[in-house]
Amino acid sequence: MYFAQLAVNGLVQGLVISLAAMSITLVFGIVRFPNAATGDVMTVGAFSGLVVYPMTGSLLASGIFAVIVTAAVALISHLLVFRRLAGRSVVALLVASIGVGFVLRSIMGLVFGHQPMVFSMPLSRPYRIGGLAINPLDLQLALLAAVMLALAFAVLHLTPIGRQMRAVADNPSLARVSGIRSGRVLAALWVLAGAIAGAGGVMLGVKTVVNPEMGWDMLMPAFAAAIFGGIGSPAGALLAGLILGVVQEMSTPFVGFTYKIALSFAIMLVVLLRRPTGLLGRIEGVR
Amino acid sequence: MTFEAVDICKAFDGFEVLRNVSISMPLDGLVGLIGPNGAGKSTLFSVISGFMPPSSGHVTFDGMSMDGMSASARARQGMVRTFQVPKEFSHLTVRENLMAAAPGQAGESLSGLFLRPGLIRQQEKALKARADEVIAFLRLDRVADSSAGLLSGGQKKLLELGRALMVEPRLILLDEPFAGVNPVLIAEIMERIRELNGRGIGFFIIEHDLEALTRLVSHLYVMDQGAILAEGEPAAVLAEKAVRDAYLGGEA
Repeated sequence: MYFAQLAVNGLVQGLVISLAAMSITLVFGIVRFPNAATGDVMTVGAFSGLVVYPMTGSLLASGIFAVIVTAAVALISHLLVFRRLAGRSVVALLVASIGVGFVLRSIMGLVFGHQPMVFSMPLSRPYRIGGLAINPLDLQLALLAAVMLALAFAVLHLTPIGRQMRAVADNPSLARVSGIRSGRVLAALWVLAGAIAGAGGVMLGVKTVVNPEMGWDMLMPAFAAAIFGGIGSPAGALLAGLILGVVQEMSTPFVGFTYKIALSFAIMLVVLLRRPTGLLGRIEGVR
Repeated sequence: MTFEAVDICKAFDGFEVLRNVSISMPLDGLVGLIGPNGAGKSTLFSVISGFMPPSSGHVTFDGMSMDGMSASARARQGMVRTFQVPKEFSHLTVRENLMAAAPGQAGESLSGLFLRPGLIRQQEKALKARADEVIAFLRLDRVADSSAGLLSGGQKKLLELGRALMVEPRLILLDEPFAGVNPVLIAEIMERIRELNGRGIGFFIIEHDLEALTRLVSHLYVMDQGAILAEGEPAAVLAEKAVRDAYLGGEA
């Protein structure tokens, strides 16, 4: 029962990693670079939620506001920076994204300061389900993540713009000659990636503390999950994030709090050595 | 109602790949193009269909100049090409591949989803109906929901034709539709081409399978070393000595 409890906690932690990894993997699948600003977009989401929460007292309203802000921030970063670097090397884009991250982090630091802040949530009694204690807040957060993920998959698989995104990711030259307008596809992609990161940021902020560095610290696990899941695969990112979250929590009794992250990385390494394309990945590079 | 390419020249770094190539065919015709490897056939296709600009020369389609138009603009006017090596969105299903080949209008942006959902649903429905029509016509029903990357070589050729059909073309340029396809499927593809031609769609076909091609087309062009060597009724063209020397290496 103890481990079941840890697994449940891990799933909630995992959803945060999933959201971040999914944002990274979507951008990588289409624009083909690892976006190091993803974590800082999450930070923007957390602060946005933090501003709105005291006014409304509603997690949902905070989430929606945060998602709108981060979608806009991601779109602006595309328009101002990444679009202008189209066709440059991966390294150029990666370094640019690190720069975008720095700018966002600095703005957050200037506006909100570096003292950790918290969402002051009312305490609530956990639900008891067959001995498992489930915090209503966790349930709300999981719901928020689930809605965001469902929305992302729906856009990708049930809409024309989503089909075009997947087409561009699959075969950019064929997409171009098919008359798919990449400008619109890219704009939609950045809005979607930003929104997903924002939802992750609010979750992370609610679960921990909000400070300008929080998102940057999240970047490594998020990259790891994106690669673990198979870079470019949104479903893989979701799965890998959940696995990493659960493994981290469940390993805590054995290796302690300090090493749980190391352990999850070790497991990821083993999987990647056996299966270099990641859980749900395809061969990368040969195209 | 004709398609014309006039005095097309194309040079890469001073090397002339196409030298004053001129083609003229009725828009509902069935015309073949043969020539040894390296004769410039595929380059001619690329220039005609807008994938690369010519060094000089003009393309007119039903009296309209296509000079300077992009490949997708030419496709919207009704002229599409297929590729020698089939291209597909390998992780999209066959149906999605077809739907992606004919981009809608309103559904092309995220805002459209929220602002004009009714219009988009309507467009998607029409697009899906069109894709299903093409799937039924090409007998791809059984694989309609499979990833296109899993198709056999011959099925990919059919999908390639299907993608061309999605834009409601008037003239299709086929680049080696029979290469690497088993005989049964070749007969099937020929049948589909004849049927489409009966509906008024023109074909301009590069093919090495002379036997199949001469049964299909009514007019044949022969290219060699970047220039048109001969043209005319297939049997007569193949009987010419110059053609035999260039294409068949003097034998047969």
